[in-house]
Amino acid sequence: MDASTILLEVFLSTISYWYVIIPTIFLGLIVGGVPGFSAANTIIILMPLTLAMDLEMGLVFMVTLYCAARMGAGIPAILVNIPGTAGAAATPLDGYPMSKQGKGQQALAISFVSSSLGGLLTTIVALLTMPILARVGFYMHSVEMIVVMLFGISLIASIAAQDMLKGLIAGFLGLMIGSIGTDVVYATPRGTFGFLELYDGVPLIPALVGLFAVSEAFIIIEKKVIVNKSEDGTTPTANWHDTFEGVRISLKRWWHIMWTSLIGLVIGVIPGAGASIASFVAYQQSRSFSKTPEKYGTGHPEGLIAPEAANNGVTSGTLVPLLVLGIPGGATAAIMLVVMQFHGVSFGPSLFESQPEIGYGMFMAMAVAYLLMVLTILPLSRYMSHVTTIPTIYLAPMIISFTLVGGFVPREYMFDMYLALGFGVLGYIARRTGYHVAAILIGVILGPLLETYFLRALKKSDGDITVLFSSTLGNILWVALAASLILPIVMDMRRKKQGVPAE
Amino acid sequence: MTRNIKLNRRTFLSTSVAATGMALAAPHVARAAGYPEGNINVFIPTREGGGADRNFRAFSSIWKTKLGTDFEPGFYPGASGRVGYEIYMGKAEPDAYNLIFGNMGPEVLNWAVQAPSFDVNDYLYFGRVDTDPGALFVGAESKLQTLDDIISEGKKRKLNVGTSRMAHPASIGLLALGEVTGAQFNLIPLSGGKNTVAGAVTGEVDFSVLTSGSLIAAGDSVKTLLVFGENRVGERLDNAPSMNDAFGTDLPEMLSSRAFGIHKKAVDDHPDRFEILQRTFKEAFEDPGLLDAYVASKGTPEYLNYGGIEECAAFKEAMLELGAKYKPLLTGA
Amino acid sequence: MAKDDRQSVRQIGGELVIPVLGVLFTIYFFSTIWNSPWTAQVSTFLVGSILLFTCGLFFLRCFMLLRSGEANLGFGTLFTREDLSTGRYGLLATTVGYCVLIETFGFTLTTFAFLFLSMVILSKARRIVFTAMISAIMALGGWAVFIWAFDTRFPRGIFENFMETVLG
Repeated sequence: MDASTILLEVFLSTISYWYVIIPTIFLGLIVGGVPGFSAANTIIILMPLTLAMDLEMGLVFMVTLYCAARMGAGIPAILVNIPGTAGAAATPLDGYPMSKQGKGQQALAISFVSSSLGGLLTTIVALLTMPILARVGFYMHSVEMIVVMLFGISLIASIAAQDMLKGLIAGFLGLMIGSIGTDVVYATPRGTFGFLELYDGVPLIPALVGLFAVSEAFIIIEKKVIVNKSEDGTTPTANWHDTFEGVRISLKRWWHIMWTSLIGLVIGVIPGAGASIASFVAYQQSRSFSKTPEKYGTGHPEGLIAPEAANNGVTSGTLVPLLVLGIPGGATAAIMLVVMQFHGVSFGPSLFESQPEIGYGMFMAMAVAYLLMVLTILPLSRYMSHVTTIPTIYLAPMIISFTLVGGFVPREYMFDMYLALGFGVLGYIARRTGYHVAAILIGVILGPLLETYFLRALKKSDGDITVLFSSTLGNILWVALAASLILPIVMDMRRKKQGVPAE
Repeated sequence: MTRNIKLNRRTFLSTSVAATGMALAAPHVARAAGYPEGNINVFIPTREGGGADRNFRAFSSIWKTKLGTDFEPGFYPGASGRVGYEIYMGKAEPDAYNLIFGNMGPEVLNWAVQAPSFDVNDYLYFGRVDTDPGALFVGAESKLQTLDDIISEGKKRKLNVGTSRMAHPASIGLLALGEVTGAQFNLIPLSGGKNTVAGAVTGEVDFSVLTSGSLIAAGDSVKTLLVFGENRVGERLDNAPSMNDAFGTDLPEMLSSRAFGIHKKAVDDHPDRFEILQRTFKEAFEDPGLLDAYVASKGTPEYLNYGGIEECAAFKEAMLELGAKYKPLLTGA
Repeated sequence: MAKDDRQSVRQIGGELVIPVLGVLFTIYFFSTIWNSPWTAQVSTFLVGSILLFTCGLFFLRCFMLLRSGEANLGFGTLFTREDLSTGRYGLLATTVGYCVLIETFGFTLTTFAFLFLSMVILSKARRIVFTAMISAIMALGGWAVFIWAFDTRFPRGIFENFMETVLG
């Protein structure tokens, strides 16, 4: 049987599971939207169910849930500033400002289209280039990853542009908070205030929901509703036109979706790296190459497209090392591995010879899930966006209880709920006094990852710092990093010279 | 998967029978007829969905039929298990309704390296479920394909070796290998089994060490070269020799070992209840259904290895000693 | 963000909170790693020093502003009288109360009480029946999802135990 016959057969058999896929999409959207749940946790909770399904159905179920949860995480991030997973942490940077301008529905449509297109595209690319892609992990070692992380962390400087000093203080405070926990080599506890719960570092979800959502809830009560009133004093209301406008905006930027989702794919392929890195790196790259970098953070569609396309690119990326090498690229892929092994599938180099329908089947399930998702979710964006018109006197308490609860869910420690509250207070102080919570958050999320790679590289070289410049690929990345930081400044200066206004 | 599970049931049973002692001899205490009245809480100091989870579910599915009550697992990961031990198990009532399902290997080793806030004798392991030796492995595409390659290369340059964490029995196995052969190794903790496998496969490190159960699961992306203990599964660990066979050493096995533990105070206050726990635990081990449960949950039944209080105490003691011996190397102090 | 345009003098007291916290935290952090192996120190000493440096620069800037009379040490950006009237402090109090009491009274009842009280405070006690209804729906929905369906480890109280008996 040649590959095209297999693909066709796999496609037909996957689509015949529509009755599994569609309910799973909704389940995925819900668990993705609830902070703390995530696809991996849900698959674990539903493990008895998953194991009871036959192999093919279980596979379709898990893959769909994974994609839908990734997409679902964007919804509260855009509408009420609650990123439910670390992968969605860059989504509210531009998504939430759009909601505040009354463009929530449009933002959702943009997010859905770019997620689906990005997911679909990277699925196809992954399928076609799997043997090559799987090699990426063989070249991206700790040294190279340090540079990749710095791409994301350099966002702090861009965010800080308005008041550099305060931006840097926020960013470095975030990095410092991110350093809490044991050191990754000798496990010496650091800055933990004696709490064992902090030994593994600051848990991300409580930090995320606290800094973004809880603090926001205390801010929004000044207004009647989240959406800013327009000049004639009316609140913009949603209608179908907004959804189409969102679709149009995203399709017009198809190229943007493509390359940012490919960033996600490549980062997703590297074992251990994940959606949070990819979305920040994609956002940073998108901003660097933009003609209007100053619009980022104010509700710019491209600032929303980049992280959403990228984190869905990660979804297909994590399957590649799982299928080709037998190494899961992320937490969800690891759970999938467990379930597949239960069914007697052995992953690794021989999978595509022994059971090609499994390997192709997973990608096909992903492609079909993304296709069906566009059709099922897009019409809903109109209704979802009504959240932004709920009076804040009701919305704020709901956000607080919802997010504190979400902070608890991943580890189920009461401690994490207090932590989310603590981060909420910190975020509130930061917002009121002009410090960027996003800068703090980037530090908290990316800081520990950067330190891990940094220490690993140093330990490998016995403390020789020149190891950072010891690899060819690494050096190319260093140059690219420097270029992406300097070029925008040069371009900006040139524009100003030519007398073109920056707006 | 073309793995055929070959287990010599006689070996398996004889190990468990040989390891009996006080549990059998202890008289049945009628006073405890009311125990257990409710479910038994089990604190598991690792993440849900991992090896401990699978192991626990398989074992408790048999044990509950002997004890006549359900087990309710709760997962308390964090700080290499210390959150589970110190915060949650530590605060639970010592009434024999609260047990911990821990790993006497890495967890106890960790106590030796970093003293916990509790007295290590506050808890008593009484039921060992399995023993899983550490192993040394390379990625399928590694340049180092044999043990000789590793030793000779390790004499030329310091090799980077992935491990899931410093204070792990497999890390100690590697340090011992370095001492015996004179090869130079540099342990690189890669946090977790998944990353340790990935590190060896992608060439981030030269090779890695890990508990062998996780290697069996990793399939043909890795090749096992040496077992820090006895290779009980043969081909599934690529027929790798044991450390003692290959180098004529006389080292103890470097094991991960899952076991049920209880508050020492519960043993003192409720000896009757404790006796029931011990007896039913042993009965579960003798039940042929246990093997089926393990096979069904894709565990490695060859690693099932009964142990009572004495075996567990000896194991814990040995681990604490090993930890004390290698402490400087494992803490960088 | 509440801005006070009537005064041209910038109130920088509030702006100093984050840097002061940063400095205190960094000093504490350094104290915990003073005797640790180099792996624990190298990156945090680097990051911490930069944080201390940037905070130092900021303090210097504030000092200059204060000396030139362009700023004072007021906390106007952080605390305003509006915070009391909008119910912000009330909401903070109920939030803290929520976290503290949930362990004693269980998830569902505490969530209901928190939502109800917060909404009453924020809405200045208008539409009490309606508020009670949404709070009840939200709390019950939360119970259904988190405790009944997903069986998470949220603190159980009278309500949860009662429902458990009812549902067998």
